[in-house]
Amino acid sequence: MTAPFAQSFDDGLSDSLLHREEEMELNFGPQHPATHGVLRLKLKVDGERIIDCYPIIGYLHRGTEKLFELHPFFQNVPHTDRMDYVAAATNNLAYVGAVEKLVGLVVPPRARYIRTILAELQRISSHLLWLATHAIDIGAMTPFFYCFRERELILDLFEQYCGARLTLNCMRPGGLPHDLPVGWDEKCRAFVDDFPSKVDEYEGLLTENRIWKKRTVGVGVLDPETAIDYGVTGPMLRGSGVQWDLRKALPYEAYGEVEFEVPIGKNGDTYDRYLVRMEEMRQANCIVAQCLEMLSPGPIMAKRPRVMKAGKDAEVYHGIEGPKGEIGFYIVGDGTPNPYRCHVRPPSFINLQSLPELTKGQLIADLVALIGTTDIVLGEVDR
Amino acid sequence: MSALKRFADKIMLLDLFAGLGITFKNMLKKKVTVQYPEERWEPAHRFRGMFRLDEDRCIKCTICAKDCPIDIIYIDWHQEVNPETNKKEKVLDRFDIDVQRCMFCGLCEEGCPTEPKSIWLTTKTYELASYDRWSNLYVDMDELQEWKVRPAYTDEEIA
Amino acid sequence: MPSFLESLRGAVGDTLFYWAVSPAIKILVLLFLMVLPLITYLVLIERKVLGFMQARVGPNRVGPWGLLQPIADVMKLLVKEDTLPRQAVKWAFVLGPCLVVAPAFIIFSVIPVGPPAGEFGNLAWYVTDVNTGLLLIIALATIGVYGLIIGGWASNSKFSLMGGLRSAAQMISYEVPQGLALVGPLMLAGTLSLVGIVEAQKTAHWWYIVPQIVAFFIYLVAGVAETNRNPFDLPEAESELVAGFHTEYSGMRFALFFLGEYANMIVISAVATTLFLGGWLRPFPNAAALGFLDVIPGPIWFFVKMFVFLFAYIWFRGTFPRYRFDQLMDLGWKWMIPLALANIFVTALVKLWLSGGFQ
Repeated sequence: MTAPFAQSFDDGLSDSLLHREEEMELNFGPQHPATHGVLRLKLKVDGERIIDCYPIIGYLHRGTEKLFELHPFFQNVPHTDRMDYVAAATNNLAYVGAVEKLVGLVVPPRARYIRTILAELQRISSHLLWLATHAIDIGAMTPFFYCFRERELILDLFEQYCGARLTLNCMRPGGLPHDLPVGWDEKCRAFVDDFPSKVDEYEGLLTENRIWKKRTVGVGVLDPETAIDYGVTGPMLRGSGVQWDLRKALPYEAYGEVEFEVPIGKNGDTYDRYLVRMEEMRQANCIVAQCLEMLSPGPIMAKRPRVMKAGKDAEVYHGIEGPKGEIGFYIVGDGTPNPYRCHVRPPSFINLQSLPELTKGQLIADLVALIGTTDIVLGEVDR
Repeated sequence: MSALKRFADKIMLLDLFAGLGITFKNMLKKKVTVQYPEERWEPAHRFRGMFRLDEDRCIKCTICAKDCPIDIIYIDWHQEVNPETNKKEKVLDRFDIDVQRCMFCGLCEEGCPTEPKSIWLTTKTYELASYDRWSNLYVDMDELQEWKVRPAYTDEEIA
Repeated sequence: MPSFLESLRGAVGDTLFYWAVSPAIKILVLLFLMVLPLITYLVLIERKVLGFMQARVGPNRVGPWGLLQPIADVMKLLVKEDTLPRQAVKWAFVLGPCLVVAPAFIIFSVIPVGPPAGEFGNLAWYVTDVNTGLLLIIALATIGVYGLIIGGWASNSKFSLMGGLRSAAQMISYEVPQGLALVGPLMLAGTLSLVGIVEAQKTAHWWYIVPQIVAFFIYLVAGVAETNRNPFDLPEAESELVAGFHTEYSGMRFALFFLGEYANMIVISAVATTLFLGGWLRPFPNAAALGFLDVIPGPIWFFVKMFVFLFAYIWFRGTFPRYRFDQLMDLGWKWMIPLALANIFVTALVKLWLSGGFQ
């Protein structure tokens, strides 16, 4: 921006000095503390009110989909970790699920339960990270640290299971790389027992707080029709009151055997999406507890060929309910050990599409809350 | 009645005081910070850290190099006759890992056919920061065998 | 009075001593022994308390318990490059931080930390007792806003400009309820002199927080808003405007903004202590049963009370989310100002009734 006032002084005392209406173009990101990575938004603002918002993506593009074509099926699992890097386990699960469908593997029951536990722990940890950043964007600093405190415990569990904390690489087509270590289930149960009280703590800081409510209630209302039109999934969709959860609709792994509720919102605003995610954390915790009860000894890997090959012209789509929405893999085989084409349906990318719709007419302060509520991870948006 | 109570709660700022109470309670709780250089975090047994190679166990099958998704393991070997046994044996010429590109997925270890594994990542070494990526993070065979931190984990440990 | 001061008085003569030398010494002592250490260590206290509230330990590397951290910070800020953006309006860019920090420091001259000369020590525990002290404080506090606006505008950055505008709107609208809240104790004490107000609380047998609880509350909230602190830290909201008006500042100029903010915090706390919590007085200043509390000297009482306020500031920052711009204005104009006016009205009525004005 060239100095707006200096310019108008140059004009002399014209009308433009006394009364000037002008839209300002504002570059929001890619280096901005609230864009959750490298999202860039081109904003048209009138004062603080947003007239138009145009997301520009691609700053973290690494060609993951092309990379999939270059490797055999099992070598691609580590690449899926790096898409939604705060929810690696669910990415793994979606990918290995697709490969299993393609190759035709039957996963043994113990592996299914362990996968469900890992996926739900990952959902909790992803939602914790969302809550941490969402709260700090809206100005509440402390929930950030509390959420990271609990997230650390989940990462410890992951580390004890598979040896990594973030990029887990914890599933294989056909089963799991390791069995659970001795004593892991007790540690996990201790976490599960303790966790609801921690959620109460976050809710005590935020849910009833009048400032939090003022900042979120009625902000960024997404009605169910628009949400479906945009293809929005996950808590974003359920916040708008649409009962759609792949865990219930098309049960995979062990979800058909556990009991849980799918929370939905009423008004489709930021506050409802917040409530939905908070309740999802509790429900995920409940699912983990049930799966821990159901664990029984057994094999963890299906009988699989040494080199997995897809049939010629075989194609498959497998989507699961990730923490951010439907994460799906579409894989085409050509008879070789490598996929011929692998396309990802990333929930962050598709949820991000709704951002211009959400921000229209809102203030810049709301924009920050709305980026938080779409819960995007740029690694997944750009892939 | 409930509307009246809600109104009274709002006037008395109960929602705000509840939050203040939580932060105050946490102020008195034990802290979770690990004071890093003095207290060192002990990784789990399965933690995937720096590599270790055992040349004697290695059968030079190069499966680890083939399994690596980003092809950072470089292996050269030749055959020579062992003077003691008079049998032809494979001898490693080169076993380099470009650790600066490594993503520690552990597929090399998983693919290793020897028992116990000849290459493993469970050395519990995680302090790999370095000022010079080329000299310090491109490790050759000898350096790989120098990480005298841990042997491969035993069955009891991982069970 | 120490002997070197006596000899100094003999050397320069009484008039010069009482009008120039003595205030100068007091100002230097105040500035370098009280205000600057207080500000720098307030930063440390804030970081420590916030850390403890957030399940971590805060700074603890520089010196024991991080006690040398403020010194290290100041050293860092002093030697850092002082960048001046090419597109910035230079004179205004330089002027901004000065305008923030200078008035905040001047206000300390009228704040009575302790009793007048003779009650505790031979010198009075304040630089000067202006008979319009309260008015002076309100006037000086207003000047600080210009620093923020000028700084934000002169940076010639969009985020800074928005930060400057936000702070202008916010501080102007919160000065009104703040000023109105101060009218309450003023009516009770009947004087604008801060020392006078504290002494009036002694004769009234209670601190003014008891009859003026509403005014106290308004002053507290408006004070938080006035100093741009969470939950009203919109002008520098780092997640929205990156850092608002001081995005483009670095080095010592940034440090001046920083100093100004913390000095303002201390000023607000000190004024609140003086007006509502009885300044240097102990609780129930005339109750003989609590006479043993007189062992603790007045200035200590003052600082203890002030730190209660400062702790509250930090506590708020550790707990609350941030208001939005328009909601902040709503709160200011639709709630605080009517409430403050009602408080003045009720205070006046009660005072009239007590003095028999209705008969």
